[in-house]
Amino acid sequence: MGDMKTPRQGMTRRDFLVRSTVVAGSGFLSIGLPGLIAAKDAQAAGTPAFTPSIWFTMTPDGKTTMHIVKAEMGQHIGTGLAQVIADELEVKWADVRLDTPLESVANFAVYGLAYTVNSGSITTEFDRIARAGAAGRIALIEAGAKVLGADAGDCIAKESRVIVKSTGKSVTYGEILQKVTIDRKFAYPNDFKGIALKSRDQYSLIGKSVASLDIPAKTNGKAKYGIDVFLPNMAYGALVIPRTRYSSKVVSIDDSEAKKIPGFIKAVKIEEALGKCTGWVVAVADKYPTAMKAAKALKVKYDAGPYAALDTPTLLAQYKDLAKNEKESAAWVLEGDVDKGLSEAEKTLEMEYTTDMICHATMEPLNCTVQMTNGEWHVHIGTQSTSFARMTLTGYLATVLKKKPEDLKVFVHQYLVGGGFGGKQDYDDILAAAWCVKEVGRPVKLIHTRESNFATSFARTPTYHKLKAGIRDGKLVAMNQDIVCGWMGARFGVGKKYGSDWLQLDSVDGRNQDIDQWSIGGSDHWYEVKNHRVRAWNHETTTWAVQASALRTVSNSYNIFVVESFMDEVAHAAGRDPLEFRLAMLNGKGGNRGIPNSGYAPGTPSDYYMDRLWISLPWASENSWPNYESATVGGALRLANCLRVAAGKAGWGTRRLPPNTGLGIAVTAAEERQSPTWVAGIAEVTVDPATGSYSINKLTIAMDPGIVVNPKNVDAQIRGSALWGASQIMSERLTLKNGGFEQSNYHQYQPIRLAQVPEIDVTIIASDHHPSGVGEPASTIVAPAVANAIFNAVGARVRHMPISPDAVLEAMKKAKA
Amino acid sequence: MPQLSINGQSYFTDSPPDSPLLWVIREDLRLTGTKFGCGGGYCGSCTVHINGQPVRSCQVKLGDVDSNTVITTIEGLDPSDAHPVQRAWIEHEVPQCGYCQSGQIMQAAALLAANPNPTTAEIVQHMNGNLCRCATYSRMVTAIHRAAQLAREA
Repeated sequence: MGDMKTPRQGMTRRDFLVRSTVVAGSGFLSIGLPGLIAAKDAQAAGTPAFTPSIWFTMTPDGKTTMHIVKAEMGQHIGTGLAQVIADELEVKWADVRLDTPLESVANFAVYGLAYTVNSGSITTEFDRIARAGAAGRIALIEAGAKVLGADAGDCIAKESRVIVKSTGKSVTYGEILQKVTIDRKFAYPNDFKGIALKSRDQYSLIGKSVASLDIPAKTNGKAKYGIDVFLPNMAYGALVIPRTRYSSKVVSIDDSEAKKIPGFIKAVKIEEALGKCTGWVVAVADKYPTAMKAAKALKVKYDAGPYAALDTPTLLAQYKDLAKNEKESAAWVLEGDVDKGLSEAEKTLEMEYTTDMICHATMEPLNCTVQMTNGEWHVHIGTQSTSFARMTLTGYLATVLKKKPEDLKVFVHQYLVGGGFGGKQDYDDILAAAWCVKEVGRPVKLIHTRESNFATSFARTPTYHKLKAGIRDGKLVAMNQDIVCGWMGARFGVGKKYGSDWLQLDSVDGRNQDIDQWSIGGSDHWYEVKNHRVRAWNHETTTWAVQASALRTVSNSYNIFVVESFMDEVAHAAGRDPLEFRLAMLNGKGGNRGIPNSGYAPGTPSDYYMDRLWISLPWASENSWPNYESATVGGALRLANCLRVAAGKAGWGTRRLPPNTGLGIAVTAAEERQSPTWVAGIAEVTVDPATGSYSINKLTIAMDPGIVVNPKNVDAQIRGSALWGASQIMSERLTLKNGGFEQSNYHQYQPIRLAQVPEIDVTIIASDHHPSGVGEPASTIVAPAVANAIFNAVGARVRHMPISPDAVLEAMKKAKA
Repeated sequence: MPQLSINGQSYFTDSPPDSPLLWVIREDLRLTGTKFGCGGGYCGSCTVHINGQPVRSCQVKLGDVDSNTVITTIEGLDPSDAHPVQRAWIEHEVPQCGYCQSGQIMQAAALLAANPNPTTAEIVQHMNGNLCRCATYSRMVTAIHRAAQLAREA
């Protein structure tokens, strides 16, 4: 998330609005935008490049460079976004190039916030970039008509060519730009509103599995990640593993042994500010192996701080205690009268669920390279947000160097991201590297060892849930879910308590309390349950002690496990088939119908919560963006449709299964209630009743993400995220002991490997609806589908994630007793 | 100064002999296609070929090799980056974030060199030590079968 307070403090929203209206103005070239080097050369030759809006530049050679601010971390997002623009622009795909703007104060004012998160890139960008492409096409047709001496109304564009319909005469885009200067500019959002977009049947690139442009370089070693940066006279930094994950203090550093290592430069105690880098000491050396050796040789004494004795069992025990205090809860969902519904029920079911921590464990460990030259700070990194990286470093330097933020010149150079998953949106490493640069007077490349990367993980919080269901006439008539965990938002200054209303939601209980949707979301499911309540508590110690963070689908990654496991329990308790039980409740009634029409009435806020929360940028003034269809259109009925497809393909209720084998169901509408992607999945699991060990034989997944821009990439992301889900139910587990994480490397923290990979049957139900994100949602359904399949296989209900063979054995014993 | 033979070229390094070969390759010689993942031999991101065998370069010390050791990295797998495994990887669009893929490709190329027509079970066994956090696993298996076919056709 970055330090979200920084933009609020440093710059008002009005400032952004004023600046973002100065789009593609005359100062455009002078601030060194990427892709404009070509434009500059072209201008020198007398033929200017064509940059009708901020999203692309076309040069007189006919090549079009799409300016992509979204991070490339395995989604092939540049290709997807470029396909949308190119389709409307009618540019030849072979002429498309990609680049990434340098992050700076000046470019931020043009491009807005560079932040890749929440499976939101296509969802939030689709409409405006389609309009940007169409605007470019309109301008090219007008210019082309002039060149051809034709009426623009008689011209069409196709494959980088303007063609006169009546005569068949044509001219290429490149030829047009060589002959005339097109100085039309389209500013977002006002100039975009009247632009007509293609109908779905006119698409030529959207919906095609064009080869992703980032792939070839990823097969020959040429792809450049943050870790691949070299700067002249660069030194290396390796972190000494701090005594605790958070809030240790360095008391003393004995570098006598480290000094004996040739090439060792300095033990740098990182200046702490903004609550970052607590207890950090970095060994700086001329080479990385030397830095690692020196980090081990340094003897650092710590004051271990307030979390020194904390462990996972203690946290979970405290959560359970906290949930007893109902008065202190904040309500997130409040429909009907849950207490009344429960009291009138014929049968009630009450269960506790818990989930362990996991972490991102990206293949590329966190790293960054920082240089200070000519009064400018340059950061080289692969990150989910170059903007937050810049803002956070600016805030840090202002504090530790006692300077005004506006006097600091900070630039962030983006590289490929070697795995993100939510784990590359914290910036402690940049701050530490910058401080090392100040201390040693050289550029520094700070690389985490796998051990220090695990030790400084930003963990998904442990969670505790108490659920109660009331059943009457075989129906779920009342449901209460209580959730206790460490809210991550607090770490980013979200919440009234931290003096910020930004990104803040209030409780629905009329008490105006803080609610952190990223820690609770997913519990607000799409089933019709007349009386439904979700109450939440923040365990603030957790937030800080484990540095609670967003991790692929954020709170959905535990809440869908809990909700969908419990739904199965309720179905069984009600004597209903779990499929039929779910379908009956996914009826699209009431609040679960979604937005029923296309777009929004003027003056109503966008349904996309990322638009609403200003994450999707450039920031138009509120409510001023063009209307586009909500991803919620169709509501729970689309989810029911996915479930029917997945269940049908998996042969639910029709197949003869091998012994100790079961099918399990789960559905999700992650990411958020306002930005759902409809997904259903069926897991087939076989359990060894002697050992409790289990294997996933097959996953059958059906997803309706609306318009599918690149089917092959969507398929890849569904598969990858499904296996992420399989990994977190089978084996991933991060635990806290004495204030530190116990797992240090991949032998202890075990992501899924090839031998564990099940067969996966993916169905993409492409529809006409506005596209939703696909990078995360499928990761949520596998864990509950597997848990439900284990129950159906051997009668063992495990109410904890991950599910260990021991837990299965124990649950089998309980079921027999 | 130690001399190394990598991808048919000679390199010199001033790194001490206890340096992991990985860091010499990456940071001294700037052949950055070989990636650091774990430093413990658990993930396979740093896989290179040493005398034709797939090896975790983080587990080899500089002092363990000399100028007679034949070291191949992803950059030297094929003079035109068109090894059958690379071609199959592109055809099936295996990589996502791509970070582990050099190691995967080197591991897969070593398999095909020893076993030109591996079964799926043999592929799984051979590739199981290479982690991919994006979980591109099933496309890798498909692509290795395809690479075997491409190699036979060549």
